[in-house]
Amino acid sequence: MRPRTLLQCAVVSLVAVSPLLACAQFQTPNPDELKMTSDPKAPGAAAVYLDIEEIDNDPLHYQSYYERIKVLTEKGKELATVELPYLRGDWKVTDIKARTIHSDGTVIPLEGKPEDLLSVKRGDFQVGRKVFTLPSVEVGSVIEYSYDIRYDDNHFSSPTWDIQKPYFVHKAHYQFTPFKAFMSGTVDHSTSMYLTDSRDRPINSLIWRRKLPAGTDVKPDIGGQYTVNVTDVPPIPDEEWMPPIESYLYRVEFYYMAASTPGDFWVNEAKYWSKDVDHFAEPTKAIRAAVSGIVAPGDSEQDKARKLYTAVEALDNTDYSRTKSASEMKELKIKVAKRAEDTWNQKSGSSDDIALLYLAMLRAAGLTAYPMKVEDRSQGLFDLSYMNFDQLDITLVVATIDGKEVILDPGEKMCPFGRLNWRHAETRGIRESEKGMSVMNTPPEAYNQNTVTRTADLSLDAHGGVTGSLMVVMTGQQALQWRQTAIENDMTEVKKSFDRSLADIMPDGTEGHIDHFLGIDDPNSNLIAICTVKGSLGTATARRLLLPAFFFETRGQVPFVKQEKRQEQVDMRYGSLVTDEVTYALPVGMTMEGAPQDSKVAWAGHAVFVVKTQSALGKLTVVDIVARGFALANPDDYQQLRGFYQKVAATDQQELVLDTATVAKGN
Amino acid sequence: MRIGAAPLLRSPAVRVLSVAIVVLAMCRPAAAGWGSKPDPVPDWALTAAKIPTPAYARDSGSVILSDEYVETIDDQGRATEREREAIRILQPQGRHVACSVGYDVDEKIDSFREWTITADGKTFPAQETDFVDKGVDTGVPVMLVAEKMREVRPPAADVGATVLCESEEQVAPYEREKVWQIQTGVPFVFEALEVDLPPGRPHAESWHRYAPVKAVQVAPNHWRWEIHDMQKLDLRDVKASPDWDALAARMSVSWDDIAVAGKDNQWRAWGAWYTNLEEHRSDPTPEITAKAQQLVAGAPDFYTRVKNITEYIQNNVQYFVVERGIGGIQSHYAGDIFRNRYGDCKDKTTLLIAMLQAAGIRAFYVPVDDRRGVVDPDAPSMYGDHMITAIEIPADVKDARLEAVAAGKDGKRYLIFDPTNERTPAGNLPSYLQGGYGILSAGADSQLIALPLLGPDTNGTQRKGSFVLSADGALTGTVVTSHSGPEGADFRMFLKYTDDTERNNFWEKYVSRDLPGVTLNSFSFIQPPSLDKPMEFHYSVAVPQYAQTVGPLLLVRARVVGEDAVPFDDEPRTVPISLDATGRWRDSFDIALPPGYVVDEMPDPIDVETSFASYHSSVSAKGNVLHYQREYVVRQVELPATEAAAFRKLESAILFDEKGAVVLKKQPAQ
Repeated sequence: MRPRTLLQCAVVSLVAVSPLLACAQFQTPNPDELKMTSDPKAPGAAAVYLDIEEIDNDPLHYQSYYERIKVLTEKGKELATVELPYLRGDWKVTDIKARTIHSDGTVIPLEGKPEDLLSVKRGDFQVGRKVFTLPSVEVGSVIEYSYDIRYDDNHFSSPTWDIQKPYFVHKAHYQFTPFKAFMSGTVDHSTSMYLTDSRDRPINSLIWRRKLPAGTDVKPDIGGQYTVNVTDVPPIPDEEWMPPIESYLYRVEFYYMAASTPGDFWVNEAKYWSKDVDHFAEPTKAIRAAVSGIVAPGDSEQDKARKLYTAVEALDNTDYSRTKSASEMKELKIKVAKRAEDTWNQKSGSSDDIALLYLAMLRAAGLTAYPMKVEDRSQGLFDLSYMNFDQLDITLVVATIDGKEVILDPGEKMCPFGRLNWRHAETRGIRESEKGMSVMNTPPEAYNQNTVTRTADLSLDAHGGVTGSLMVVMTGQQALQWRQTAIENDMTEVKKSFDRSLADIMPDGTEGHIDHFLGIDDPNSNLIAICTVKGSLGTATARRLLLPAFFFETRGQVPFVKQEKRQEQVDMRYGSLVTDEVTYALPVGMTMEGAPQDSKVAWAGHAVFVVKTQSALGKLTVVDIVARGFALANPDDYQQLRGFYQKVAATDQQELVLDTATVAKGN
Repeated sequence: MRIGAAPLLRSPAVRVLSVAIVVLAMCRPAAAGWGSKPDPVPDWALTAAKIPTPAYARDSGSVILSDEYVETIDDQGRATEREREAIRILQPQGRHVACSVGYDVDEKIDSFREWTITADGKTFPAQETDFVDKGVDTGVPVMLVAEKMREVRPPAADVGATVLCESEEQVAPYEREKVWQIQTGVPFVFEALEVDLPPGRPHAESWHRYAPVKAVQVAPNHWRWEIHDMQKLDLRDVKASPDWDALAARMSVSWDDIAVAGKDNQWRAWGAWYTNLEEHRSDPTPEITAKAQQLVAGAPDFYTRVKNITEYIQNNVQYFVVERGIGGIQSHYAGDIFRNRYGDCKDKTTLLIAMLQAAGIRAFYVPVDDRRGVVDPDAPSMYGDHMITAIEIPADVKDARLEAVAAGKDGKRYLIFDPTNERTPAGNLPSYLQGGYGILSAGADSQLIALPLLGPDTNGTQRKGSFVLSADGALTGTVVTSHSGPEGADFRMFLKYTDDTERNNFWEKYVSRDLPGVTLNSFSFIQPPSLDKPMEFHYSVAVPQYAQTVGPLLLVRARVVGEDAVPFDDEPRTVPISLDATGRWRDSFDIALPPGYVVDEMPDPIDVETSFASYHSSVSAKGNVLHYQREYVVRQVELPATEAAAFRKLESAILFDEKGAVVLKKQPAQ
C-alpha cells in the first residue's frame, strides 16, 4: 500500500509546485490558429506542432505527454493516427484523451477505446502499442491529444526528449523530476532502496546530454526539476544522401549513472571494456599452440599478421552464416565463447569474436596489437556526449607491423588484409594502446582502391545489333559486396543478382548475362565477372547509325536535386574509380562520322570525368573514367557537387555517328 | 517515448521479484515446443525427412518435401487445422526458413512443435526460447491488424538440414473456407489436404490455375487431395508480369451453406453469405440521411446525385483501420463511420451504400482483389483483399458519363465504383480493377460480375512542349502535361501526399530521366476540384547539352520528354503479359532550330498496329521548326503469353522511336 499513498501525496504536492503540469489539459482553441491556412514560419508545411509538453516524474513513476497540431494540407492528416509503443507488463499507457477541432470551432472528441496491439513477444518480454486515430480530421483542423505512461514502482526511468520533430514546432515544454537519491551529493532518506548498475556500481549521479537550438539549455531549479523550453524548432532535415540523421538531431537525454560526468563515464566504460577484451583475447596456451601451427618462427611481422588473418577469416563467421540458438548450443553442449580459444576450438564465432581471436593470435605471435571499437558509419556518428557504449558496435584490431600501425578488419568476412569495409572507414571510436585508452579515427578508403573496370568487346551490325563479351574487374568495396553475397547465397542466386545489376547500367534494348566469376573465393585477388552482351543499340537513319557514346550510362541516376541551401553533409559512402572501355567492331564499310571529343570535367580536388575516343580501321573504342576521391561532401560544397554531376549526366548523353551509306550499298 | 529506456537498476524489491521469477520459471515444464513437453521426432516427420531432394529443386534455397493439412470441421462448422510440414534447406539463402502460425482474437493455437534433423542425422527439438510472437505489420501506418504470428526459428537450420513443423489451431468460427496455396516461391515434392466433415455436411472445391485433382474419401465424409512435384513460381525476372498471386496455383474448399453445386451457385452463395454478414451495417442514421439529402438537393440527374455523394466520401472519409477478428471482413456500422470520418474499404463502401440509400439509390458490396486475375471466375472463393461498390443504375438512365458499367445476369446495370480510391471519379474506374471480377453481394441475387474494361479515351496523358534549341546544344522551353482518368487520379494522389519540396524534387528527377542535367525553372499544377476534369502540370526547363555536337552535325532527339516503352526481354514467355492500363497517350513537341542549321536526316515514321495497341509517331520540319508527334493507344490490359512476339515488336518500335534523333547540319556560310 505504501506506493499508492506515496503516489497520491506526491501528485498533490506536484500540482502545487508545478502549475505547468496542470496546463497539460486541452486548451481553448485560439481563433487565429483555427483560421490559419498556412504558416509563415514553415512555408509549404503539411502540418505544424503548436504545442508539445512532456512531463516526466520518476518519483511518481509516470510520464505525461501532450501535443497540439495544426493540419495544413491533406498530407498533414497523417498525423491523425497516433501509435504509442510501450513495454507490456510493468508499463501502462493510461488516460488517453484526444479531440479534433475543426476550423469553425466544432469539437469532436475521441470516443471508443484505443487499440492495444502486440508488436513482439518473446518469453516474458512483450512490446505493445496503443493506437488511435483522431476523428473527423480535415485540412485546417487542430488535433490535440494527451496520455500518461505509468510504470511499476520497481522501475526507474530517465527520459529522452526528442526535441526535433518531422514538422516545425512552435512551442515545446519539457520537464523532468528525477529521483533525488540518484543525484550527486544528495542523501534521500525517504527510501530505503539502493540502486546499482549492471556492474554493481552504486547509482548516484544524474547526467544529461543535450543538443539544442542556440540560446536554449536544460535549466535545473531548486526544486530538483529540469526544464527545457523551446520555440520555433525546425523540422528534422529530410534530404537525400544524408549521413545517419539520428546523430544530428536536437535531443536531450538524462542518465542515472555511477559516473558524474561524460568523461568519467567513458573512462570507466573503456576500462571495463579493455579488461573484458584483454581477458577474452588472452594469448593462452591453446592460442599459442594454434599460432605455432600457422606461423613459422622466421616469418616477418607482415607474414605473421597475414597468415593469422587468413586463418581467422576462414572460420565460420556467424554474422554471415547463422547464429546457433541457445537450445541448439545446449543440445550440442557448446558454451558461449568466453575466451578466444573457445572461438578457435569451435571454428566459429561472431564478427566480434573473430576480431578478438585475431587480436589474441597476434599477441601470441609476438606482435603489438590493440582492440578498437568503432561505430558503423551507416548507422551513426560516435558521440562522446552520448553515454551509451553500445553505439560502438564494430571491433577492429590495431596492429603494429614493421613499426607502423595498421587497422585491420578481421571480423568482416572476405575483407582483404589491410582494408576496411566502408562502414568502418572514416569513422571514430575508442582504442586501447600502450598509453591507455584514447579516441581515434579510422582512415578513409582511398578512392583508387575501390575500382570497377568494365571492358566490353562488341560486334556491331548494320542495324545497331550488338553481340560480344564484357569483363568487369572489381576491387575494394564492390568486390567485397559480391563476395559476401556469394557467402550468403548459392551461385545461381548471385548470378541473378549480378544480371540485375547489369540491367541497371546497360542501355535499354540490350541484355548482359554473367557466365562466371573469377576470384569470388579469394579476397586478395581482383574479382572478375565474365559476361556476355546482346541486344539492339541505337537507332538507324537512311545513311547513319546513331549509338549512345557511353555504353554504360548513368541513365536515370542524376543524383542531386536543386537545393538552395543544403543542410547536411552528402554521404556517398566511399570514394571510387570507375573505368569503362567499350570497343565496337564495325561492319565492313561502316565508318565513323562523329564521336565525342576527348574531354575532361573536373571538380578540383574532388572528382574528375575523362572521355577518350580512339578509332582504327574497323574499330572504335570509347573510354570514360569517373574518379571520385571523397566519401563525404560538406553542405557548402553542394552546388559544386551538383554541378559536376549535372555535367557528367549531360556528357553521358553524347552519341556516336556512324556512316552506313557504304554498308547499305554493299547490301 | 523510448522503449526500454530505463536503466537496469536494482533495489531490494527488484531482487525479491527476480527470485520469484526464477521460482516460477523452475515450475514450468521443460518444453520442446510452444505449450508442450518435449516429444521425440514423430513418425510422420522421420518418414518425411527421408524424402530425397529432387533434381528440379537444386537451384532453390529450400524445398518443401512434404506439407499436409487436415481440416476437421465440427458440428457448428468450426474448423480445427493441423499442419505437418517438412522443409529441406538446400542453399545458404535457405537458412532463413521459419515455420509460423497466424492467429487472431477468435483463434487459438493448441500446439506448435518443431524439430530439425541435420545433414548428419542429429535431432534438435525447438525449445520455448526458439518461439516468438509478432504482431503482423502491414507496412501501411493507417492499416493495422490485430492478427499475430507465432514463429519458430528452427535450431540447427543449416544447409542439408530438414526442418519439421507441426501445429494445430482452432480456426475462427466464422471461417467457412480453406484456401490451400498449392504453389509458392519454393517447390513442393508432396502436398496434401484433408477435410473431415461431420456426416451429411456438404463441401465444394475450386481450383485456380491448376487442373482439378480428384479427392479420395479416406473415411466417411473425410476427403483427401494429393499433389506431387509442384514447381515454384518465381517472377522476379519476368518483365511485365501479372501479380504473383494471380498466377500462383491454389485450391479452395468450402463447407456448409457455401458448399453448393455449380460455379454460379457457389458465387451466389458467397455473395449471399457476405450480404448476411453486413446486414444492417449500412442502414442510414438520421444524420447520414440528412447529409445525403443535402448533397443531392438540386442535383439535376442520377450521375450528379451519385457524384456528389461519392466525392463527399472520397474527400471526407480518411483511411484508417485496425482489423480485429471478424473485423477483417465485416465493416463497422455506417453511423460510426460517418461520425468518425474514417474507415477502411469495407467501411467506405458501407457509408456509401448508406448515403446512396438515403438518396434513393440502391448499391451493393462487391468483394474484389486489387490484383487483376486473383479473383478467378473458375474458382469460386472469398479470396480477395478489397471491397468496392456496385451502384444500381435505373433502367431509364442513359448517361455517357457512366462508363464503368457492369451488366448483371438479370440485365440490370451497375456503376462500379471504388470509394477507397480518393481521386478516381464516379463513372470511371481505377485501372487495377478493370478487367477483373468481383462478387456482387445482393442477397439471393448475388453473382460474380465482370468488372468493366474501359476504352482508351477514359485514361491517359497529353504532353505538349515548345522549345528553342541553341547552336551549342542548349534547349529551353515549356511543357504542359494533362492527365485524365486513373492516371490523373494517380497524380492527384501524388499531390495529396506530398509537400512542395517533395513535389519539386520528384518532378526534377522525373524530368531528368529524359533530360539529364536539366534545371527546372518553374513548376506548377492545376488541379480542378471536380475529379472528372483532367489535371495539368506546367513546367519550364533549361538543358545545357540537349543536342550533341558531332563535327558539323547537331543531333537532336525529337521526343523530348515522356517514356512509353516498358522493359521487355527475349526470354521465352510462359506467363501472360500485363499492360497495366488501357489509355491514350499523346505527345506533341515543337523545337525551334538554331539559325544556320538545316535538317540532314530524320527518323522514319513509325506505325505499329496490333489488336491490343497501336503506336504512331512522326517527325516533320516546317521552316526552322521541328515537329514531333506520337500517339500510343492501349486497348487491353493483359495478353496471353502467345502474344509475346507482337508485344516485343511493339515495345522495340517504341524504344527505337524514343531514342530517335534528327541529324542537323550546319549550312556553309553564304
